[in-house]
Amino acid sequence: MQEMFVIIIGAVFINNIVLSQFLGICPFLGVSKKLSSAVGMGVAVTFVMALAAIITWLVQQLVLVPLGIGYLQTIAFILVIASLVQFVEMVIRKTSPDLYRALGVYLPLITTNCAVLGIAIVNIQKSYTLASSLVNSVANALGFTLALVLMAGIRERLEDADIPKSLQGMPISLITAALMSVAFLGFTGLL
Amino acid sequence: MRNILKLGIFLLVVAGVAGLALSYVNTLTEPIVISQEQENKINSFKEVYPEAETVKDESSKYLKSDEQKIITEVNVAYKNGNPVGVIYTVEPKGYAGAVRTLVGFDIAAKKITAIKVLSQKETPGLGAKSSEASFMDRFKGKSAESAVEIIKKEPVNGNQVLAITAATITSKAVASGVNAAREHFIANFVKS
Amino acid sequence: MSLAKEFSKGIVSDNPLFRLTLGMCPSLAITTSVANGIGMGAAFTAVLLASNIAISLLRKIIPDSIRIPCYIVIIASFVTITEMVMHAYAPALFKSLGIFIPLIVVNCIILGRAEAFASKNGVFASVLDALGMGVGYTLALVIVSTVREVLGAGTFYGIPLGGASAQSALIMILPPGGFIALGCILALLNKLQNKTR
Repeated sequence: MQEMFVIIIGAVFINNIVLSQFLGICPFLGVSKKLSSAVGMGVAVTFVMALAAIITWLVQQLVLVPLGIGYLQTIAFILVIASLVQFVEMVIRKTSPDLYRALGVYLPLITTNCAVLGIAIVNIQKSYTLASSLVNSVANALGFTLALVLMAGIRERLEDADIPKSLQGMPISLITAALMSVAFLGFTGLL
Repeated sequence: MRNILKLGIFLLVVAGVAGLALSYVNTLTEPIVISQEQENKINSFKEVYPEAETVKDESSKYLKSDEQKIITEVNVAYKNGNPVGVIYTVEPKGYAGAVRTLVGFDIAAKKITAIKVLSQKETPGLGAKSSEASFMDRFKGKSAESAVEIIKKEPVNGNQVLAITAATITSKAVASGVNAAREHFIANFVKS
Repeated sequence: MSLAKEFSKGIVSDNPLFRLTLGMCPSLAITTSVANGIGMGAAFTAVLLASNIAISLLRKIIPDSIRIPCYIVIIASFVTITEMVMHAYAPALFKSLGIFIPLIVVNCIILGRAEAFASKNGVFASVLDALGMGVGYTLALVIVSTVREVLGAGTFYGIPLGGASAQSALIMILPPGGFIALGCILALLNKLQNKTR
């Protein structure tokens, strides 16, 4: 139990996936213009990452390790994630049109979200158990959502700000992220 | 239906060719990787215990599975067939994760021969200085019979070690790893 | 478009990092030293070159409806090969780039070039395109990592600059430094562009 707690706090605050591990930067900067879309993206990523954690862990332990083909990890994981995203999209479209309308547009973007593949690999590298992998993935996804939502909140206000012309767009977003990253740096040494 | 089958087979062929190519490259690179890791290990053992002729991993003999969490490996150094030194791998928790450290002891002299920080994720420029020789050398020749203590001013007693400026937590972590190894060493290798 | 232009567009007008702002993750994560930047750029270029060639050669065979999964398999294979070779011949670099080597797979630039260029053009043009994009990306990584290493560690490619008394701005090699460096460089480029217009 204590181990799980350490994983959660570590993933959400100390080694925040976006602000200190630099995974998932593209959606972080691309989908953080509006608060509502940030929340939608966060939920979709959390869902996919949780599923991906379970499946990639099973693939690793039941297929790759017994067969001694650990070197196929990257190729196997990316295929699992890509088909998983397709599958989730299909299921959601069939079963819940409302949910599809809310999350559908974000799903295709997730395949190339390096956070999903990155965390799946990290889970294996740290030799987590299935339960720890799941907790770690969900915690990282929550960390991603937190960073995304905070960023969107700031950017909605930046809309009204008088930003020098050269800084508009990407540069000001990066510098905002830098300040958030400094703030999150304060969490190091918490555990 | 037939179309789907055709596409499926095509994809399978692509994946099969990719798999074959990868396994071929793997047979080429894997031996190099393994021999390199072996060599690295031997070299770092030499750094903390230069006189070792052969080093044997005896972790299974000396480490009880769930009892010790800091010590991860016990390697015994032999000379002319007799054990002369012990090299521990310890993983104490630093400021930002484990600080993997090798600690070498000399059995006859009951002293620390040297330590070497193998990997750490401490703050660059502060705690990361723990893997610099200037810090690691401060542990050289310390007695194994009393605990190593980290202090912030110039050491006065024999077993005190000067901390890294602005990185006391990292310094103390390294010392805690050294002390864990030291206690194990005294209990298992020194005959009273 | 002339062949020379296929090459040079990746370096200046369509620079993947500075102009298209693609492939941001590694550009922020591993740019703590110039050596890392060059290593990452080289690995990236190798994968892009190999996958562009393979996809360009196979462009008439791969069925349109499953081209994306095929591209992913091809790219992932080359990434794994690059990873194995680096592990064997450049272990220090392999260790410091860590997880960002397998993550080249999801680097949007590579899949983007496969889809937008290699699947529509001949091998020779695809090679030039890959080299241009690769060199452009490497150059961008080197610029970002130079800024970070010089300011943050007081060294350039491991060579100390300034005296022992020089105090470096640690924050530049910590995570926030990546965002600051890239943000300021992009702002500077915008400024230059606005001026020339």
